[in-house]
Amino acid sequence: MKRGIFILLILSIILTGCWNRRELNELAITLALGIDKSEDEYLISAQVVVPGEVSLTGGKVGSPVTLVQARGGTVYEAIRKMTKSSPRKIYPGHLRMLVLGESVAEEGIGDPLDLISRDWEFRSDFYVVVAKEDTAEHILNIQTPLENIPANKMFNTLKVSEENWSATSGVTIDELIVDLRSEGKEAVLTGILATGKQEGGSSKQSLETILSNINIQYDDLAVFKDDKLVGWLTENESRAYNGIINEVKSTVAAISCPNEGKANIEVLDFKSKLKGNVKNGNPEVDINVKIVGNIGAIECPIDISKPESIEALEKIYEKEVEETINNSITSVQEKYEADIFGFGDAIYRSNPKEWESLKNQWNQHFTELPVTIKVDVKLRKTGTVNNSITEPRKE
Amino acid sequence: MGFFYEKKNDQLKPTTPSKSQTKEPIEKQILKTNLQDNLKTIKDTLGESTDIVIREILIGNKGTVKAGIIYTDGLSDAPSLQNFIMETLMLDIKDTEVESEITPNPELMNTLKDFAMTVGEIKNVTLFEDLFTALLSGDVVLLLDGFSEGFMIGNKRWAERGVTESTTQTVIRGPREAFSENIRINTALIRRKIKDPNLWMESRMIGKLTKTNIAVMYIKGIANDDIVEELRMRLDRIDIDGILESGNIEELIQDARISTFPTVYNTERPDVVASALLEGRIAIIVDGTPFVLTLPALFVQFFQSSEDYYQRAEFTSLVRFLRFFSFAIALLAPALFIAATTFHHEMIPTALLINLAAQREGVPFPAFIEALIMEITFEILREAGLRMPRAIGSAMSIVGAFVIGTAAVEAGLISAAMVIVVSITAIASFVSPTYDMAFTARILRFIFMGLAASFGLFGITVGLIALILHLCSIRSFGVPYMYPIAPFNLTDQKDTFVRLPKWKMFTRPRLISQQNINSQQPPDVAKPEPEKKNE
Repeated sequence: MKRGIFILLILSIILTGCWNRRELNELAITLALGIDKSEDEYLISAQVVVPGEVSLTGGKVGSPVTLVQARGGTVYEAIRKMTKSSPRKIYPGHLRMLVLGESVAEEGIGDPLDLISRDWEFRSDFYVVVAKEDTAEHILNIQTPLENIPANKMFNTLKVSEENWSATSGVTIDELIVDLRSEGKEAVLTGILATGKQEGGSSKQSLETILSNINIQYDDLAVFKDDKLVGWLTENESRAYNGIINEVKSTVAAISCPNEGKANIEVLDFKSKLKGNVKNGNPEVDINVKIVGNIGAIECPIDISKPESIEALEKIYEKEVEETINNSITSVQEKYEADIFGFGDAIYRSNPKEWESLKNQWNQHFTELPVTIKVDVKLRKTGTVNNSITEPRKE
Repeated sequence: MGFFYEKKNDQLKPTTPSKSQTKEPIEKQILKTNLQDNLKTIKDTLGESTDIVIREILIGNKGTVKAGIIYTDGLSDAPSLQNFIMETLMLDIKDTEVESEITPNPELMNTLKDFAMTVGEIKNVTLFEDLFTALLSGDVVLLLDGFSEGFMIGNKRWAERGVTESTTQTVIRGPREAFSENIRINTALIRRKIKDPNLWMESRMIGKLTKTNIAVMYIKGIANDDIVEELRMRLDRIDIDGILESGNIEELIQDARISTFPTVYNTERPDVVASALLEGRIAIIVDGTPFVLTLPALFVQFFQSSEDYYQRAEFTSLVRFLRFFSFAIALLAPALFIAATTFHHEMIPTALLINLAAQREGVPFPAFIEALIMEITFEILREAGLRMPRAIGSAMSIVGAFVIGTAAVEAGLISAAMVIVVSITAIASFVSPTYDMAFTARILRFIFMGLAASFGLFGITVGLIALILHLCSIRSFGVPYMYPIAPFNLTDQKDTFVRLPKWKMFTRPRLISQQNINSQQPPDVAKPEPEKKNE
């Protein structure tokens, strides 16, 4: 008996064949995946790292990444078909970016995303973006300066701009799927586009000039209704969107001074609270925004050594934030009828019972939803100087 | 070695029966009355070995008494033999009244013992067995004609190494002296540290042929009597022809027979033994080796160094952590690396993964084989470094650096990351203050590598669970090996992962010394605090 167990143990080590073992040089490390749709076929583009080109010792001759492509009726089929052209199996465990072509976004992203959410090899923290007026294939076919792996450049750019500018929104796949499934919130994705000359981006020569011929940059947010792209927000609307869903970490806002000129506010802390309410069967939403900021730059004659001027600036900023948010909501309500702000969720949270009767006609309710906005701004510091450096001359 | 004993055994057995009429082996016989018979027996038994010196002399008034002095050349102190035994018997005695009493009378033995022998240690011997043991241990045997009895006179002295600095357990701060090969010097070194009448020593002789002296030392009243009794029992059970080093004893008395983990501690430092005795442990000193055993030995003990108690407590705690961490590295680093790079790519940060993948481009072997090649190469180098003559050492290290180093990477055989992993593993295994625990990590590392290559992290986890189960199941002389971690004891944590200051350590390890627990006054008294002025 004891010997039997022993032999079984030995066999289990020797004969298992190291299930699932894959050496590092058998992997096609895929950092970005693009999905396009033409006619009835998906075109999948995988940006795969060429390790030899990235290493510190060798390489630097060829491109650090290569694009593996395949067409198929479904996403899964196409990904497996890639082995026809790639010596290594696609390994998406380190995926950083999923780029959806505009064509796919317009037709609906639910189906192609199913595999990506179901397969265990995919992680759940990569960003999803939409190629604005472009194909994913083209976006993934562009060399980038600073970060020699384009997928890393896309990932880091989105992360940095989300934290410091707040007009973009880094949506990871799990957040996107939550939004797609949710009844009280529609999905929003950041747009990505290629700027500059449209040709020759895949060659390293495009990086040989100081100003690259072609560059990838993020644009404003794409609005989805159900799982279909319905339109794009403007920059101000994008920032308002991030403000409403409390996703602003830090940003800079230009406001008008009391008399003339402009002042800049550096936002340090931005907190917004959504509160849903149902009164006599009619839903309504309160937005409460609290902003703490510094004065970042003064480009107008104002004496900020006086507390009154600071208060005046606070008042102006409060008003401008309120207006931006208000305009954005109105515009989304009118143009897209898609509740991207998650007002429905807010109402569900506060009045779950009433929500049951509201949710069927929520799109209708959303367009007519009254929104109350309250903004409170506190300006704390004025930087290393007091008044504008040009002030004496202006007097 | 076995061959050697066998040969000697054969020589002893067949030669004796022809000479003696009785069936009993010669060692069991009683001395005869005739001096010549005795001397002949001795010569025959020892095969006329050339290092045995037999000197026949005449003593007493006009040489009325025939006597034989037998000793082993090289083991006995020649000057003191001449000055205090031969000179006394042959010359000095003539000027005294005693001489007249030296006649073949029955009281002669006692007279000589009481009046003539100017030496410290003297014992009567009646059995050949005792005679040979004494003779071959370096004592001088004095036989008198007409008596079936003789004297064994303590006169041992042979060439030996003095007390030198410890080479296996070096410290920066602390006593430098180390044990030597002589059991007496070793016991003396311990006595010099603990001058308490309760420090008891029991001696016995183990090894049918080597007759090795073994001393068991413990502090009566602190050491657990049950453990002492258990040890006596285990030592009595030993029936072996030779004990050449304390390692022989260790293997014969340890609890866990099939385990890579040592359950008996060994050291060549007297201060370590002294502190072990103070904690209630028992020391076994074996003649002929500087390595003294202490027991019970617990897992955490192998991560403690004597210096821990001489350095500041804070520093020691940090170093303790480092040692456990290094042990984990020595045990698991290659296994974790193999598991992560062949099974769990998603665990590695993206930038690192790309980097590692770049290094692996063109490496022909799977990660496991790669690691195995490197580990085995390192083991070969280490073993060669230990055994080869010192003079070749520097040449060896140059070659070694080539084999495990950039040359191997440049040749495209090994990835650079693997070189780093194997090197850090090798270095980490040397952090262990005891060699035994480093051995354990070395052996188990290969098992973990195999598990990692077959099952990934899952295999490592199962292996670790099995390891912990094993550790928790073994005992050292009745004390659970993992004490005070499992079973957990809060008080004894004072000297496990951290070391509290000396004024906080006021109890002895509870499971080792079950009596007389307090090693100093309660903490409020012991804590050195300046007296507060009443103002």
